[in-house]
Amino acid sequence: MSPKNKKFVLGGIVVALVIAILAPFLASSNPDGLDSTMEKVMSNPETEPAFESPLPDYTIPVLGEDNPLGGVISLVIGTLLVLGIAYGLGIILKNKNKEENT
Amino acid sequence: MHIPDGLIPFPQYLIYYAISIIAIFFALRWARNNLDERAIPLLAVLSAGIFAIQAMNIPIPFGTSGHMMGAALVAIILGSPWAAVLVLSIVLILQGLIYGDGGVTALGVNIFNMGVVGGFVGFYTYTSLKNVNGKFAVFAAAWASIFIAAIAAALELAIAGAFPLDLGLFYMGGFHAIIGLIEGAITVVVVLAIQNVRPDLFSLEKKSNEVTSK
Repeated sequence: MSPKNKKFVLGGIVVALVIAILAPFLASSNPDGLDSTMEKVMSNPETEPAFESPLPDYTIPVLGEDNPLGGVISLVIGTLLVLGIAYGLGIILKNKNKEENT
Repeated sequence: MHIPDGLIPFPQYLIYYAISIIAIFFALRWARNNLDERAIPLLAVLSAGIFAIQAMNIPIPFGTSGHMMGAALVAIILGSPWAAVLVLSIVLILQGLIYGDGGVTALGVNIFNMGVVGGFVGFYTYTSLKNVNGKFAVFAAAWASIFIAAIAAALELAIAGAFPLDLGLFYMGGFHAIIGLIEGAITVVVVLAIQNVRPDLFSLEKKSNEVTSK
């Protein structure tokens, strides 16, 4: 990675992590547009997830549902995971293209 | 507007899965042919930022809230609606599997609405307006991307029998017309910030500003 790109990526990561850390404290807990619509137009808007997700609603179960620290940790993990997956996928796909062209 | 499990009959979920898998195939092909040293860091940073900001619900009137979707932003910066399909797919798959945000059986329909509909509406709104005014084109593209995605969701939920058509369109359209203003404002801010820091990666001024244009 060029120094210019490195600086850009680091800056981007910092911004993303700051958002991830602040979100559990600042985010509105009001229902979103779809949830609000469900409450307005459906007689029973409750739905059951098809499977139990490991970190439901961006919480860490052992830390308790209302602990914002769980939200911070789970969002930071997710942000870094998405970053790694997108970067890795990009590198793999770019290299695949090179192989085919040579 | 992450649709949960159980809202749409399972066979209909499978149809949206099929559409989304085909879209992801094209998105991966776009990535293979177009990603280069300059675009990969953008792709990674945009994906991470969109994941984080999707958790930041901002209150809107009527006791409701909304968050950024990000499809128009990705399509504009990386110069292709397929980029939006790729990024939103990564984000939505992770949200569905790990966080229970959007149902796992609803992943197909959520990728279709936010990635495919959001990405294409955002990209083509931007390209058709950018010669009028760059900033306005970005704002309009972001607003339209989330508004039309919400209309698509309302139609799908009406077909599913979960929502009445008229009220579903009224509330989904109404709420997301307001949330679209947030989407538009944040998208303009981020586009201008990237242009400021790295005019070599993206610029509203140049006629051909796609990072990945060949």
